[in-house]
Parts: sequence; C-alpha cells; structure tokens
Amino acid sequence: MSDRWLKYWLVLPAVVVVLATAVWPLVYSAILSLRTWKLSRSNIPGPFIGFENYGWALFEDPNFLNAVWVTSVFTFFTVALTILFALGVAVLLAPGGRLRLTVRTLLILPFAMSPALIGVSWRFMFNPDFGLFQAFFGAIFPPLADVQWLADPNLAMVVVIMADVWGWTPFITLMFIGGLASVSNETIEAAHLDGAGSWSAFLHVVLPQMRLVIGVAVVLKAIFSLKTFDTVYMLTNGGPGTATQTLAHYVYFSGFKYYDMGYASSVAWLMVLPMLVLTWLYTRFVFRRPDAV
Amino acid sequence: MVRAHAVRNEAIQIVLILFVLAVMMVPIFWMASAAFKEVVDVFQLKLWFDPTFRNFVEITKPPYLIQEKFLNSTIIAGATVAVAIPLSTLAAYGFSRFRLTGEKVMFVTILATQFLPAVVIVLPFFILFRDLGLLDTRLGLIIIDLALVMPFGIWMIKGFIDGIPLEIEEAALIDGATRLQIIGRVILPLAAPGIITAAIFCFIIAWNEFLFALILTTNKAVTLPVGLALFKAEEGELWHYIAAAGIIIMVPMWVLALLIQKHFVKGLTMGAVK
Repeated sequence: MSDRWLKYWLVLPAVVVVLATAVWPLVYSAILSLRTWKLSRSNIPGPFIGFENYGWALFEDPNFLNAVWVTSVFTFFTVALTILFALGVAVLLAPGGRLRLTVRTLLILPFAMSPALIGVSWRFMFNPDFGLFQAFFGAIFPPLADVQWLADPNLAMVVVIMADVWGWTPFITLMFIGGLASVSNETIEAAHLDGAGSWSAFLHVVLPQMRLVIGVAVVLKAIFSLKTFDTVYMLTNGGPGTATQTLAHYVYFSGFKYYDMGYASSVAWLMVLPMLVLTWLYTRFVFRRPDAV
Repeated sequence: MVRAHAVRNEAIQIVLILFVLAVMMVPIFWMASAAFKEVVDVFQLKLWFDPTFRNFVEITKPPYLIQEKFLNSTIIAGATVAVAIPLSTLAAYGFSRFRLTGEKVMFVTILATQFLPAVVIVLPFFILFRDLGLLDTRLGLIIIDLALVMPFGIWMIKGFIDGIPLEIEEAALIDGATRLQIIGRVILPLAAPGIITAAIFCFIIAWNEFLFALILTTNKAVTLPVGLALFKAEEGELWHYIAAAGIIIMVPMWVLALLIQKHFVKGLTMGAVK
C-alpha cells in the first residue's frame, strides 16, 4: 500500500476509538440535555423540551448555584496555593545534592496515589476521635481540639482544599523544577552584579523566564480542580449538607441518585463550557512554536 | 561574612526541606502504619506498636475478598493498556511522520478529550451499558477506560517517535523495506523505552480510576479504589482494613511510577513544558 493511503489507516483505529469513547458521549449528553428523562420512571427518553433544563439550572436551582460557588472557591484556592507552594518547594529543591535529589524522587509518591485513596486518608486524619491532624491542630491551637472538622461547612472546605493541594503540589513542583533548570544562569549572575539581592533577582529575573511553565501549570491545575470528584466523594461526599458539593459531584448526584438523565446532562454541559475555554488556552501552549519557550 | 551568611542560608533551607518532607510523608506513613496495627492501636493514636499482618489476611476473607478486586483492577488496567498501546503506537507513527488532511483538528480533539470531566463521559455510557448488559462487567470498564488513556498514549509515544532521526528509516526504505516492516523492525525497537513508559503511565491511570468503576460496577467487576468503600460495619468504618487495602492500591503504583519517574511530568503535560 502506498504511503498516501497507509498514513490514514495508521491513525484511523485510534481516532475511531477516541471518537467513540470521548466524543460520542459528549454529543449524546448534549442531546439528552434537551430532553426530559427520569430513569426511575421510564426506560426510554422523554420529549424534547428545548433549553428548559439549562434554564432550571441557571435561574431556579439553588443547588446548582451552590455547586458553582463551591467549585469556584475550591478552584481558586487550590490553584493559588498549589502554584505558590510548588514554586517555593521547587526553589528549595532545585540545587543538587543528595538530600534534595531524594526528596525530589519522593515527590512522585503522592501523585501516583489514587485520588480516592487520598480522600480516604484525609478523612482518617481528621477523624474526630483518633485523627492525627485532629490531634495535631488541637495541640498547637487548643480551641480546635474539640472541633469536628468535617462536620463544619467551612472547615470541611478547608480540609478538602488541603487534601487536594497536598496531592497536587508534588507534581506541579516537578514541573517547576524542570522550568527552573531552563532559566539561564548568566541572567541571574548579571542581576547579582548589578546589585540585586536574591529575592529581587528571583522576582525580576527568574519569574519572568518561568512565565510559560507557570501559565501551563495554572491552566492544567484549573482544569483538574474544576472537575474534581474522587477526593471530594471519599472525603466529605459533598457534605456537610452541600457545603463541599462540587459541580462534578452535583452531576453525579442528579444523574445517579435522582436518575434525572436530562438534567444531569445539562449540568454536565454547563461544566464542560468553561473547560473548553481552558482547553483552548492549553492547546495554545502546546502548539506554540518550539523556539518560543 | 559572606560565608557565614551562606552557611546560615543553607541551614534554613535544609530545615525547610525537612519540613516539606514531613508534610508529604506523614499522611502516607500514618495511613500505611494503620495497616499493620491491631484495631485497638488504631483508636489510640499509637506511634509504637507490635506490627501485625492480620489485617491483610482478614481482607481476603468474605465479605471483603480483596483479591477479587485486585484481579479485576489488574485485568481491567492490563487489557486497557493492551488495546490502547498498539493503537496509540500506530497513530503516533502516522502523526509523527506524515502530513494528514485535518491533522490539526484530530490533534486538538485527541488532546482535548483528556480534559473532559469523567462524569460527563460516564452518563451516556451508563445508559448504553444498561441496554447492552455491560453494567458490572470488566469489558465495560475496559471500553470506557480507553477514553481515559488513549490521549496520553498517543501523545507520549509521538513525542518519542519524533525524536528518532528520519535518516534511519530512509536507509531502510532505499533497501526496499515496506512501511509496516519499517515500523516493526526499525521504529519499534528504537521507540521501545518510550512505548513501555507510556504503557506504565496508562496502567497507573487506569488502575487509580475511580468514578467510572463507582458508577458502572456494583459487585462482580468492582475495582480496588471502589473497594475502599466496602469496609464499613455497624460500629463505623474499619480503618485498619481500609489502610491495608490502601497499601495494596498504592505500593504497586509507586514501584511503577519510580520506574518511569523521569518521564512522568512530560506525560501529563503532553509536551507543553520541555
């Protein structure tokens, strides 16, 4: 077979699999989102109702708006804290040496853990009777000793954010260590010769050279924060009440607790839309010219 | 003066690094240690205890049967990789070496699908599998897990094939080899480290997957992460068993992740950072 046709046969199977497993569900849920369908009442989809599901979500449903709020707060804090901590740890670990290289290797451990397992572990840490963090925070700040972290709406959110930041900081740190390695040493030395201190050199010389890596990290972390489910499900299951119910958890709740397929699909799509913007941003990073680093 | 300053600076950094190390390792260590504790020690926040392997034995007994979940996880992740990696390799070669009509659209689509929320994908599949009788089957999970791993597989392997010089293939072409022979005899051996890295990466993703298994399985095809929710009794959660299951979930993935650590970052960022 000539290359002219062979090249299409090479990519065809993979493209078909991606279309069938990822693009088809997206299209199908778009169609479902325009219908009414309670799986608990009927085995076949109900009539088309236009954008009624979307209207209900955006203008009538307090639980949807709550999930948008929770997801926004969660995304803002997890992105900001993860990026800040990761930058700090990356600067600490960037020079060589045995201790630093060992810690760098260990950074891979939290990231290879199942997010569901991270959720469970953190619930264990904050168990009111024998949780390690419960005891620790109680010891350094006694008013917290009898606080039930996961039963308090605000503190539960704090714990969910901590667990997520804990799980993601190591990975983003590894990204930043790679970024730091590509910062040119001459520019730093030049800044020192001009009388700049370490802090000022970092701020004015190193950070600007890392803006691309930081940009990629922000977009990537924002995407993963927006769709967080596993950790939340295992840690608080959206509770107490709906205090930590993210959008992904709310889709799950509408679809598989209330079996409202039409409504769950419309919420899912409302969740996909901001994601498409972020993904577009991300592809801009990936498809930029290689020399633009 | 300058030297004293540098020494003090380094001392502060080492203290900070040890602090980072503690924050990172203490939760893991604490959870892991509970797996080797008797249940009374779990409840007493004990640091020193007589280690026991009893929890690991107990979770193999009914109703927990963790070995069945282990088998499910292994088969599902293994089969997903076995399907995804050959397809990804062929596609990666095609994308790497040829100009195709609609190439950029295909690229962006494949890249973008990895960012889709799993909960969006699972809903249509739940309905489809219900009609096809694929709920609570390994086959069902293998099919949907492909959505998760294919984008990574294609992008990672393409990165490795991009790095193989064209001249090697051209020499083989002049000798009269066909494309498929070139892929089999020239590219595969050279790209093997990359392909293995991608396979391990995809295996870890499929193994740790939670949401699909939570919704699509109930009993026969339950995987390890979903199995974590099984350890409940009337008196509450059985943390010593949960911790033992946690060890079984995470330790094999640590071994795999350490094998490919150099490529881990590149895999997840798909070459957006060098």
